[in-house]
Amino acid sequence: MQRIRKFFKNKTFVFPVILFVVVILTNFALQYTNLGPEKFEKRYMFLLDNNIRGFLPLILLAIAQAIVLINGSIDLSIGNLMGVVAAFLVTQYTVDDSIGRFLQVFAMAIGIGVMAGALNGIFVSLVRIPPFITTYATSFVFSGIAMWILPRPGGNMPEIVTTFYRKTLPLGLPMGIWIILIIMLLWLMFKNTRFGAHMYAIGGNEKAAFTSGVSVIRHRISVHMIAGAIAAFAALALVLITGSSDSRIGGTMTLDSVVAVVLGGTPMSGGIGGAVGPIFGVMTLGFIRNIVGFANVDTWVQPLVDALIILLSLASPSFIKLIAKQVRK
Amino acid sequence: MAQNLTSIDIVKHFAGVTALSNGCLTANSGEVTALMGANGSGKSTLCKIITGVVAPDEGQLLLNGNLITVSSPVEALRSGIAAVYQELSLVPSLTIAQNIWLTREPMNGIFVKYREQRKMTQELLDLFSDTVHTSFSPDTLVSELPPDEKQIVEILKAISTNPGIMILDEATSSLDSRQVDRLFKLIDEWKKQDKAIIFISHRMSEVFRIADRITVLRNGQTVGDFESKKVKEKDLINLMVEKTKNRLEQKDTIISKQFKETVLKVTNLRTQLLQGINFSVKKGELLGIAGLQGQGQSDILHSIFGSIRFSGKIELDGKDHKFKHTSQSMAKGIALVPGDRAKEGLLMRLSILENIILPSWMKYGFPLNSGKAKKDAAKTSKSLKIIMAALNMPVSSLSGGNAQKVVLGKWLQRKPRVLLLNDPTKGVDVGTKKEFYSLLKELCATGTSILFFSSDDEELVGLCDRVLVMRDGKIRKELPKSELTLTNLISASVTSNEELSRATN
Repeated sequence: MQRIRKFFKNKTFVFPVILFVVVILTNFALQYTNLGPEKFEKRYMFLLDNNIRGFLPLILLAIAQAIVLINGSIDLSIGNLMGVVAAFLVTQYTVDDSIGRFLQVFAMAIGIGVMAGALNGIFVSLVRIPPFITTYATSFVFSGIAMWILPRPGGNMPEIVTTFYRKTLPLGLPMGIWIILIIMLLWLMFKNTRFGAHMYAIGGNEKAAFTSGVSVIRHRISVHMIAGAIAAFAALALVLITGSSDSRIGGTMTLDSVVAVVLGGTPMSGGIGGAVGPIFGVMTLGFIRNIVGFANVDTWVQPLVDALIILLSLASPSFIKLIAKQVRK
Repeated sequence: MAQNLTSIDIVKHFAGVTALSNGCLTANSGEVTALMGANGSGKSTLCKIITGVVAPDEGQLLLNGNLITVSSPVEALRSGIAAVYQELSLVPSLTIAQNIWLTREPMNGIFVKYREQRKMTQELLDLFSDTVHTSFSPDTLVSELPPDEKQIVEILKAISTNPGIMILDEATSSLDSRQVDRLFKLIDEWKKQDKAIIFISHRMSEVFRIADRITVLRNGQTVGDFESKKVKEKDLINLMVEKTKNRLEQKDTIISKQFKETVLKVTNLRTQLLQGINFSVKKGELLGIAGLQGQGQSDILHSIFGSIRFSGKIELDGKDHKFKHTSQSMAKGIALVPGDRAKEGLLMRLSILENIILPSWMKYGFPLNSGKAKKDAAKTSKSLKIIMAALNMPVSSLSGGNAQKVVLGKWLQRKPRVLLLNDPTKGVDVGTKKEFYSLLKELCATGTSILFFSSDDEELVGLCDRVLVMRDGKIRKELPKSELTLTNLISASVTSNEELSRATN
């Protein structure tokens, strides 16, 4: 018992994983009963693939949000930044839609993400405006730019790229799962760099980190820049689903990214957490919404029901702790 | 390598208050230099200047004969000066290993070599083996450690930089005797390695055990530099106490007053800091609480006021009270004037009027009888001589002394029976202080009982009817009016228990 408790201690993602397993089982049970055994067997891989591909933009955004939160900052502009990059990505292929052009466009897109992140970072750590305010303000700037680039939903992507993304199943597993595995691997490497270690130190106690010689300002600007770059990848994942974009889509996804991070066990206070939790957080969030969709509730109560479930999931670790405390007494 | 650090005539002002006016200190390699002084004599400021935490206004720092400027802790480290800070510089959410090697991680390309870091940490932890709990491993989170082990990590972090000059600022204050023994053994080794050590401690016995030389500071000035073998404890205490006459006039209060009625009685009060406190306050008495900073003085006041958790008995007029919320103690006529006025005492953006009536707004009913409130506030501010443009000006427009008067005024408005003062004269100018003292005397004459904690030992001596001297969460000595002198007070707060009992017997 002691050993079990010791293992679970400091593992912020334990509860999120349990929640995730419950949610995903319910989800597939519902899909199974809805489709019937035969149809389900034929289509489950396709369903999983579709689901994960749908979650991928938010997964990337949540990871960007997680590293900013671990660093002790917050980025409320991340969704709209993704909107800007997405709008840019789908409006560049009027003449040439070759692979080469696509790669060129995507490189520029990452540049846009990094620059926007640098803007946030400079205002937050050099000019010292609280991150909550700075990024809330820049979120409107980004949203305006996105509307300017792409006033109406639409745009197009090179067909070779979208087909490749949708139809390839390396080793029989959906593309989305591979991408998630790659992300986890990259995260593991990132965490073990000096930069990663200092990210946690600054989020844990900025003053102590400074006294120990960490260059807090430079580091925080870099973290916002990395978050911007990840947002560019999120934009790519988003436009590849449909081959088009909508400038309004980013706004709602910002708060979703924060919820997913917290649902994944990374607190907003900084200094602890990781990127694996948020991945599960996003999938949990997505599957909860799926389940509510299956449950045949009226459309207008859907947001209410899924908000209640999310609130309950967020609160349950604290509830469990409270109950455990009472029992021990 | 021989190391020699000299600071010459360091001057530092903080917002008009002179913290250091002539800070001289020499530390030689292979020697332990102890830095001593009473509260607010400038020891910590001098250390902070040497380690680059604060910048000096004037003066020079010489390292091995060369003039140096240290503008940040990192630069100090580069010149081989490491400090164990009094306020901890650890990141609670990181492990011991990560904290010790922060910014100096062993690297393998771009990756941190965690295994090696762990091994290096274990070697450091072994220096303190057997004096700590078994859970003290490189992977333990700092947030899970008790204060003494945090302090040890802080010491190890300084050691890991292999400095030429090591500053220990109150590093022993949270360690137990075995840990102190171990630290002293390490210090002996450092001396052999030709390191220079600056040791700051309030514990006289420790200073005499470890120090080769003793430098004494008083009111921001270096007033003495001795070889520890050639100096006596009594002489040091005399030197720490200012010889000039007390600025407060004592003549009218020399005769001990007689108090009868016990108002407040505290029995076996315990908190995290307090280890069983017993005392009582009589009606109209001005009882002082003295001692070095952080010995649990504030905890006594906050326990009585009901703003922290405690165990023990607090009786008011012979009735047992355990206040769980400040509103309960306020209803019984207790008021607390907090120490940090910006944080706990005032709503800086709101007006003087709003601040004054804040604790007693219920009196003015609903809807607020603003006419009466204004009249009462005007009366209070007049009697306190608050210098202001108008009652509706924000408190942030006032000077420190006047702002403190507002804090006092807001509680006097409630006409308290027991007034708790938590270091109220910190950063207050001399003129205001004088007014403040006469006000306290007036209050006592009308029957208010006052419990007065101050870090200014002089004002306690000049003002109080009786003073309790605290050390390590206990009352070490009670000084009645007849024995109340500055020398007795400081001697009681710095002398260790054994010496104290020897001296009194």
